[in-house]
Amino acid sequence: MAQKRLLGLVAVVAIIAAACGGATATTAPGSQEPGTSGPPASGGVAPTANTGDLAEEQILNVDIAGEPPTLDPNKAQDSNSLTVLRALHRPLVYIDPATLEPVPALAESWEISEDAKTLTFTLRDAQYSNGDPIVAGDLVYSWKRLVDPRTAAPYSYVMAEVEGAGDLLALAGADPLPADAEIDALLDTLGVEAPDDKTFIVHLSTPATYFLAAMTLWVGVPIQESWITSPDAFEAGNYVSSGPFQLQTWNHNSEIVLTPNPNWYGETKPTLTEIHMSMSPEPAQAMAAYEAGEIDMLLPVPSEDIERVKADPVMGAEYTEPPALSITYYTFNNGTDPSGEGTLERCQDPKACPTTNKNFRIALTQAVDKEAFKLATFANTGIVAGTMIMPGLPGATPDYFPYQYDLAAAQESMATALQELGYASAADIPPLRFGFNTGAGHEPRVAFLAQAWEEAFGLKTDQIGSEFGVFLTQRTAGEYDLARNGWGADYPHANNQLNGLFTCGGGNNDDQYCNPQVDELLTQAASEQDQAAQQALYEQANKIIADDAAALFLRWGVNSQLVRPYVGGLQVTPMDSQVPGEHFYESIQMLVRQ
Amino acid sequence: MIRYVTRRLLWIIPVLFAVSVITFLLMHAVPGGPWAREKQLPDAVEARLNAQYGLDQPLYEQYARWAVAFATGDLGPSYRYQDRTVNDIVADGFWTTVQLGIMAFALSVIVGIPLGILAALGHNRWPDYLTTSVSILGIATPSFILAIMLIVVFSVQLGWFPTGGWKGPEYWVLPTIALAGFPIAVIARYTRASMLEVTRKDYIRTAHSKGVRNQSVVSRHMIRNALIPVVTILGPTLAFLVTGSFIIERVFNIPGMGQFYLNAIATRDYSLLMAMTMLYAFAVAFLNVVVDVLYAYIDPRIRYS
Repeated sequence: MAQKRLLGLVAVVAIIAAACGGATATTAPGSQEPGTSGPPASGGVAPTANTGDLAEEQILNVDIAGEPPTLDPNKAQDSNSLTVLRALHRPLVYIDPATLEPVPALAESWEISEDAKTLTFTLRDAQYSNGDPIVAGDLVYSWKRLVDPRTAAPYSYVMAEVEGAGDLLALAGADPLPADAEIDALLDTLGVEAPDDKTFIVHLSTPATYFLAAMTLWVGVPIQESWITSPDAFEAGNYVSSGPFQLQTWNHNSEIVLTPNPNWYGETKPTLTEIHMSMSPEPAQAMAAYEAGEIDMLLPVPSEDIERVKADPVMGAEYTEPPALSITYYTFNNGTDPSGEGTLERCQDPKACPTTNKNFRIALTQAVDKEAFKLATFANTGIVAGTMIMPGLPGATPDYFPYQYDLAAAQESMATALQELGYASAADIPPLRFGFNTGAGHEPRVAFLAQAWEEAFGLKTDQIGSEFGVFLTQRTAGEYDLARNGWGADYPHANNQLNGLFTCGGGNNDDQYCNPQVDELLTQAASEQDQAAQQALYEQANKIIADDAAALFLRWGVNSQLVRPYVGGLQVTPMDSQVPGEHFYESIQMLVRQ
Repeated sequence: MIRYVTRRLLWIIPVLFAVSVITFLLMHAVPGGPWAREKQLPDAVEARLNAQYGLDQPLYEQYARWAVAFATGDLGPSYRYQDRTVNDIVADGFWTTVQLGIMAFALSVIVGIPLGILAALGHNRWPDYLTTSVSILGIATPSFILAIMLIVVFSVQLGWFPTGGWKGPEYWVLPTIALAGFPIAVIARYTRASMLEVTRKDYIRTAHSKGVRNQSVVSRHMIRNALIPVVTILGPTLAFLVTGSFIIERVFNIPGMGQFYLNAIATRDYSLLMAMTMLYAFAVAFLNVVVDVLYAYIDPRIRYS
């Protein structure tokens, strides 16, 4: 069987490298819009690494914004858990900080069969923090545990393409669950095997080109059964880690202390002797802790502090805005039932749901000055967005803006829409239900948009602020015409930005959007082995979604962060969420303070 | 007296029952659930979690299950902190919250009462104006504003105290002051008003005309009588301090229970929310009984039977 390595996708790498390395240059999208010719001041300034002599004391202090809900790698989903898990574990493949491509980690190499359905990994010699060898059988155990319906893991879906996983994932919804023996029998058919301690084989039911990227997630790390089934497995002292650090202490709701894992197999051994993680739920307190010198880095900087920080002679130099794989967008209700078939009950009459009209959505898009929005409500941070996929990912079309800010064009689109909907004027439309969650800083953004639409068309909106949980329930059900939304990448691949978000009946399809052409393109892309062809398919889908004005894409995010000059060796990635350089704690070094 | 106290204590049980039913119903009436996230869980996973935690059963069954467990001291699993029980979480944070509450209470009494007395004695002169303006400020300033001001001045600018955490006495100072700000003002105002009222009483005039020294009129006749109404508010104040530190715990990153109360509401951590509500309801009810009993000691005219 002819086999090929998946590495060496030179073309793709070059494209990403260009996009990532020159983050400032990718602010270009805004330049085509009126009034956006200013300098790309906030387009994501990549931090330059601090350098200097090593300090005597190698203790890093950071904040992780709250008690981690769990440190069980299979079950974790919240960013304050992930930022700790990234120090404690390392999966088979990990991301390259510059290119975001999968690179070897626990696996020293891998081979992919010609039909792209069998992945064979060769493990390196490695040990857990407790000295036991890391064997392929622990990966089999971990992956089975992840899809086991009894685990009910939030991220079990990333295993969907593994042979036999579909049945198990569907089983989770069964009530009552079948007998244990039945589940165990199904688990035995799962397409993962360990012919020997150093070989791990995955069989996919369908070619999924993004599967390697998904494997960089924290959920598929090796797990020792004897550890995770022991009582109080997640408490310090019992915790068995496979990454560069181990769990030294965990004072719940107060502080986590990590120390280097003496058995860490990676080439880069930690220089830090301790990482102290405080858990401040209040961003203002974390900001004060940074200013008082109690923590050495801060991510994100509260947006109300950004102007002050930038103007500060000391902090201004410590502040950077590297790109992040996240997007701020507002959902239009496109009217498809959340099941993916038929029309939403409340939108049977299009007149009652004007956002189901494409021209209406186009008009709303054309009436928004995104650059002004970003300036007024995001302290001018981020990059103006016209599509979903974030710049830096293959499939992104950062320069594509089908509907630019243009009030005259907006009036034309609106006139067409009104005619199609059967309204004499936009003022006759009953107030649109505009949903958002309160207390998270969204109020000025909602007000900005509502005002833009009212000024342009005399269109009224009913701004409905709700508590987060209430808001999510309503948004999922399609109760709003317009709603705040946002997305951060789980893994750096276009599939994670579109699949499930813009596919018919997708779990995160809050836009109630359904275009079979998009679904078809994404299915094709998933099995397209040729990188250039695959990228073209994602680009096409990305553009169609924007052409349909499925949602109002506003801004791609940046990580507004503060790093003291005596923190060196950071390898920042656009996937960082709570701690700059959190994917590579082992490379961080404390430098002599000037 | 003992019969009275016993009866009052037994009354706490139906109060708690009522509180639990109301909280339980309200909690489940609010849309959203413990598994809601910006990134939604797959439907099947959500269904499985609901089944695992019994959230798919009828409400009365869920309530009955909770009540039975509660009666045996089992507060249930946390929905958000899935590897921990509510008992663990409460045990971790309980004493921190109580300690903070009692320190703030002590500070409010030690500062508030003398401040009120001083104001009354210097009625309509500068001590009065000063105290009154300070206490108005104290009442008008929300605790989190005071907290952030304290952090900015004493932690960031002066560097005297840490900005947050709870690792030793230096960490206790700012939160205690921030939490005590409001009750100091309230107690000072109550004490002042009560002192002024007593000053005009006949028995004070009598004492003065008998030739009793001014100092002992103040300490033996005025303060003792003036404090009775003040004690009335001390009970609720203590309850407020022990239970009302949510915001302060959050702002100062203190690992108490209060922080979890806010979280539990936001994340629909039903069992944690129930446990917190019951604890706080018990604290308020119990402290009210304590205050009523204290009256009898301070004011000999009050007798319970």
